[in-house]
Amino acid sequence: MTRVIAITGKGGTGKTAVAALLIRYLTKGNKVVLAIDADPDTNLPETLGCDSEKTLGDVREFILNDRDNLPPDINKESIFESRIYEVLVEMPRYDLLVMGRSEGASCYCYINNLLRSVMERLVKNYNTIIIDTAAGLEHFSRKTIRNVDDLIVVTDGSRRGFRTAERIHKLVDEVEIEIGNIYVVANKVTIDNKEKLIELAKELNLQLIGMVPLDEKIAELDLKGESLVSLPEDSPAMIEVEKIAKKLEL
Amino acid sequence: MEDEFPFEISPMFEGERVRKGDMYVELAGPKSRGFELVKAVKMDEIKDGKFTLIGPDLSEMEEGARCPLAMVYRIAGELVEPDLEAIVERRNHDFQNYIQGLMHLNQRYDVWLRVSKDAIKKGLNSFEMIAKASMMLFKNELPFIEKIDATYITDLDEVEKELSKAMEIYNARDERTRHLHEEDVDVFYGCSLCQSFAPTNICVVTPDRISLCGAINWFDGRAAAKVDPEGPQFAINKGKVIDEIGGEYSGVNEIANSLSSGEYDRIKLHSFFEYPHTSCGCFEVVGFYIPEVDGIGWVDRDFTGTAPNGLTFSTMAGQTGGGKQIVGFLGIGINYFRSPKFIQADGGWNRVVWIPKKLKYMVSGDIPGNIIDKIPTEEDASDLESLKKFLMEKEHPIVHKWAEEEEAEAKEEPASQVPGPMSVQSLFQIPAVQMPMSAADGSGVKLIFRNAKISIDRVIVKKKD
Repeated sequence: MTRVIAITGKGGTGKTAVAALLIRYLTKGNKVVLAIDADPDTNLPETLGCDSEKTLGDVREFILNDRDNLPPDINKESIFESRIYEVLVEMPRYDLLVMGRSEGASCYCYINNLLRSVMERLVKNYNTIIIDTAAGLEHFSRKTIRNVDDLIVVTDGSRRGFRTAERIHKLVDEVEIEIGNIYVVANKVTIDNKEKLIELAKELNLQLIGMVPLDEKIAELDLKGESLVSLPEDSPAMIEVEKIAKKLEL
Repeated sequence: MEDEFPFEISPMFEGERVRKGDMYVELAGPKSRGFELVKAVKMDEIKDGKFTLIGPDLSEMEEGARCPLAMVYRIAGELVEPDLEAIVERRNHDFQNYIQGLMHLNQRYDVWLRVSKDAIKKGLNSFEMIAKASMMLFKNELPFIEKIDATYITDLDEVEKELSKAMEIYNARDERTRHLHEEDVDVFYGCSLCQSFAPTNICVVTPDRISLCGAINWFDGRAAAKVDPEGPQFAINKGKVIDEIGGEYSGVNEIANSLSSGEYDRIKLHSFFEYPHTSCGCFEVVGFYIPEVDGIGWVDRDFTGTAPNGLTFSTMAGQTGGGKQIVGFLGIGINYFRSPKFIQADGGWNRVVWIPKKLKYMVSGDIPGNIIDKIPTEEDASDLESLKKFLMEKEHPIVHKWAEEEEAEAKEEPASQVPGPMSVQSLFQIPAVQMPMSAADGSGVKLIFRNAKISIDRVIVKKKD
């Protein structure tokens, strides 16, 4: 069975860094991972240190724009599938799929229906799927990605970050997404705010599964626009992410 | 027979992806060349089960290599005919994906295959094994194939040479499918994907009418309904032809009745005014009746300005959508403009009096040459005045209709003719107009005019005190 984990949170909380570190931990083992960047802001490829030129959004637009020029009896799902495989970035232990741009004004009912069945087949090929997604959970509400086992909301030390976590809880109920568990990971944690964050999580009834310490090295790499590949194995953030992965039995 | 192969064969392996790291060799695909082709031939031309390879075999390929590949199957049988070629060819994708360790993607000149390292390790070392397994599946699953042979080509020059011949076959096939019409088939397809937005909408897709969203043609409907008959796309038996020009079929009426929960029991697929197709909310273009000129204008989603009636796409779309049959407005897919049956009940292109420039350009190849310059765009007409002027100047066919109708009026009711400056345009017949209206409190007003003749000197609309 494929385990599907979505990582979300307010912009700037470091959700992409947490996703990247989790992918890095998983690919050290025997797991075959599919990383999906479902945030229109698309930071995961850079954070993972791999190039992504085209996105699934580009393919979707191609099919939409070119459908009347294709042979009339051609199987569109099979063209779509093949094109999606073309934009998959194949790394030694994981594949990366970038969802890219959001939908435009035209009708996406049919194309998303095709996408659902392509995705259903694709995800079965992996042990674990890690999805970096914006707090709006667009792809989940469209059910282009469904049945998430664990949703991890990353928050920084701010009260606003926690509020986002609370809102996502509500959103999940509203859009009827099937989600097994919802956890919160506090990121950029310092000695000064640690106790307060634990209290805040309790107060808002959120399940806090890990506290990633503020890591100067990550901030430094981030500033330089470099990937997290060079982050040392024994950096405090990496160690905490490993602990989280073990708690999740990944 | 399956024991002969060093791999398992099962539908279970469909969707199996051979990742780059697990791949022994990549064949055809976006970075190389290749194709697949099925040809129908006479029984005596084939030695059943024969396999020919032109070019190097799997065993001669290095790990990690990328090679061209063409797969040509010839089939024969009493029931085999050229029309079946495309359908049979399509199955190569399914059958090759049943083979463990083989990934087959796409179709025709876009095929893309990968063989896994695991499969090679287990003893897959020649294309003959893949071809024999595929031929076995073709014959088992499609019993009308009595004889089959296969030629695989891995030599680049040879692939290129055969590909150019194959292209001619593909083009000829496309030409045939483009000329398929409602009268040639017994089954249409319905799509209920939009029912989440428009519960009473039912999209009817025929060879002459694409779905309103423009995404699903008759062949897409057929493919989807075959895979999942209970899914959002399903077969509709055409039934009896009730109105050939209007496009009314007993089978469509039955399904309209049951899927709209009795709200509609008649649909005319090629009529704007009489029992028109329902409109979901996903349509690409909305058509609108312009009573002042007795013509139909069209506006697409990408046109952000206002049409000559003073309304935008979104305003009209809001009135049209929701799965209702609304006379006076009609949602369609862009490709319906290319249909030879395009609103043929209402005069087809001769009834079209306005269309945005970009949209006109897109479908210009299918607008009859004698009318194309007579249909104004936003550059020629922006309001009713300039529209009338343009139509008269260019002698749009609708102008003759005004004159005819005026004559008919004059003959019918000479006594009641109102003296004075009655313009041609203000007197004509509206076949049946149902104007969508809604009041602020949501209760709404529905006015239905049938065969009405209305002449009004002045109308005063006042807000309720």
